[in-house]
Amino acid sequence: MYKLLLCWRYLLTRYLALVCIVSVLLGVATLIVVNSVMAGFSTKLRDRLHGALSDIVVQSWDYTGFDDPTGKMEQIRDDPELNSRIEAMTPTVEIFAMLQFKIQGTPIVRAVRLIGIDPEGRARIGGFAENLGPANQEHPSFDLSPEALNRYMDLHPDMGQRSPPIRANDKLPPPDPPPSPPAVPMSAFVGYAIANVRNPKSTPQKPLPDICVLNPGEEAKLTTITDGEIKPVEYRYVVADYYHSEMSEQDSQYIFVPLKHLQLLRNMGDRATEIQIRLKNYDKDKELVTKRLQALFKVEGIQVNTWEDLQGPLLSAIGVERGILNVLLFMIVGVAGFGILAIFSMIVVEKTRDIGILKSLGASHWGILKIFLSYGLLLGLVGAGVGTILGVTITIYINQIEHGLALLTGQDIFPRTIYYFKEIPTDLQPLTLILINVGAVSIAVLFSILPALRAALLHPVRALRYE
Amino acid sequence: MQEAVPVLSAVALQKTYRKYAIKAEVLRGLDLDVQQGEFLSVVGASGSGKSTLLHLLGVLDRPDKGEIFFDGQRIDNLPSHRRDLLRNQTFGFIFQFYHLLPELTALENVLMPQMIACSVLGWIRHRREIKHRAVELLDRVGLGRRLHHRPRELSGGEMQRAAVARALINRPRVLLADEPTGNLDAEAGGEVVRLLRDLNRQDGLTIIMVTHNMDIVASADRVVRLVQGRVEGAAESHSYDAALAPESVGGA
Repeated sequence: MYKLLLCWRYLLTRYLALVCIVSVLLGVATLIVVNSVMAGFSTKLRDRLHGALSDIVVQSWDYTGFDDPTGKMEQIRDDPELNSRIEAMTPTVEIFAMLQFKIQGTPIVRAVRLIGIDPEGRARIGGFAENLGPANQEHPSFDLSPEALNRYMDLHPDMGQRSPPIRANDKLPPPDPPPSPPAVPMSAFVGYAIANVRNPKSTPQKPLPDICVLNPGEEAKLTTITDGEIKPVEYRYVVADYYHSEMSEQDSQYIFVPLKHLQLLRNMGDRATEIQIRLKNYDKDKELVTKRLQALFKVEGIQVNTWEDLQGPLLSAIGVERGILNVLLFMIVGVAGFGILAIFSMIVVEKTRDIGILKSLGASHWGILKIFLSYGLLLGLVGAGVGTILGVTITIYINQIEHGLALLTGQDIFPRTIYYFKEIPTDLQPLTLILINVGAVSIAVLFSILPALRAALLHPVRALRYE
Repeated sequence: MQEAVPVLSAVALQKTYRKYAIKAEVLRGLDLDVQQGEFLSVVGASGSGKSTLLHLLGVLDRPDKGEIFFDGQRIDNLPSHRRDLLRNQTFGFIFQFYHLLPELTALENVLMPQMIACSVLGWIRHRREIKHRAVELLDRVGLGRRLHHRPRELSGGEMQRAAVARALINRPRVLLADEPTGNLDAEAGGEVVRLLRDLNRQDGLTIIMVTHNMDIVASADRVVRLVQGRVEGAAESHSYDAALAPESVGGA
């Protein structure tokens, strides 16, 4: 009982102890904020990375692709083990291309990744339709919106007669069957950052909307290569919608076009370069499905990877970064621990005579030890508790705080252009909170062991005579 | 009187303090018997080992050689938890510098030995009666109106009286007082000694008091003089002048 009373009184009367509390508090708050933001980044980044890739990708090892993707999908469906675990599949074609369009008469050329998809099928894989405009969220299609169509008609009054031909540069045999004259032009989903440029005058104080350089309904020329013997081919696609994943790498590179048309353009028959697969339960089944698929397509030189395999280096980089940050930040709490050690040692010296008194009144070694251990525990608990409240509050209001700081300093703390996140992502994980708290309190107790032992082992008579 | 078993007795106590190569022999074979209900005063020059004797008797320290008996049972070689228990339950200490805990009020200081004795549960269950007793004790020593004052808000005499109340809360068998008036003026010292005298007379408490102050020695039943780590003379208090004379070798 006396231990609690003394602990409490020492806490209230020793202002030095507040220093310990503040150091623990700051350490805990920083750890929580940094971990939540890192976790937020990591989760969001994983989502984004995953978005462009299906759970499992069956891919050809080069851009030539493989024959008969439909047959291969049937082959997969025929395996009951696989069939029961697979939610959806869709073939895609991926190839590099050059994009050309004009801004006020000046031609712009960019390198892009051209992805041929069946929009409905791709949407079933996930991480696609939600990155498109509102009209394409439910049932994505390459159809132009009325507004885009009007713009196209305004730009091309002769459109009714025009049938955009596939123009190979020389004597390439005409694709078979030749494309029938489309009633509407071929359209594409264009990465948001290709078609929109950040306003250079935009500041955190006065954010201005991005400048659009390629509106829906406007045309852009895509040049890519044919399959087999490489020949350049080009086609004019009309922008139907933007693909806005908030991952700058994807938004500045991806252009989606209809699969059938790309196959036609590249003269590759029904060949595909990839089959995207979505699993019902990715975490549970990824290994089994990957192994079975690998066995199934072993002979054909086809690679089977999970999306994590494909993004491995980036994901592990995030993991490593988080680990290193945590080590560094726990060193902060470690410094707080040494603070506790130093301050406790001082308090023990200051309290030497009191310790002697307590021993003369019958307090045991163990009792004295417990006073100082509980004192450390109490400091740790108070520090960690207040630190948790502070950390969680900062995490919840981090965007407001960032905004305020940006206004105050005029310095953009979280440049949207780099990350393409609208706001700082956070993810408060209860387990992390618990671990940080347990860690901080244990450090506080651990570092009070030495001073507590010193107090407990003081000789009562010498302690009483201490001046 | 000689036939009764002494409540506390020391046999051939030796204690040497060492610091580096320097040895200070404080007690050199001290023998002492204290009877139940006795008010014994130990006098002697500075460094004659008075305080050391008190610490050894109160099991705050261990002798290098010799034995200490309480109620006929040896106590100097007990394991530390038994010694803690003795200090808590059997002996009460009063010190020259009061040694109250500065963070606690007078009442809390008095309660401290009980708090040490009780578990948290025990404390919660019995705190009313314990507090009642503490208030009573503080009343008895004249501090009934200063229960919630911190030590620094009390005078020297008041602090010492609070310390007496603290020493009494666990109903000790023996009160060990180490120069209880050494830091007080004559009036406050007189009050403390009167209080001890009353405790001895009315409650039959055994008191061993170490002192420098020849004026208060008169209150004691018996005076023992320490010279060079031994009991040099013992006499009834009415002849303490004789006891203090170096030639006299006492025997009751």
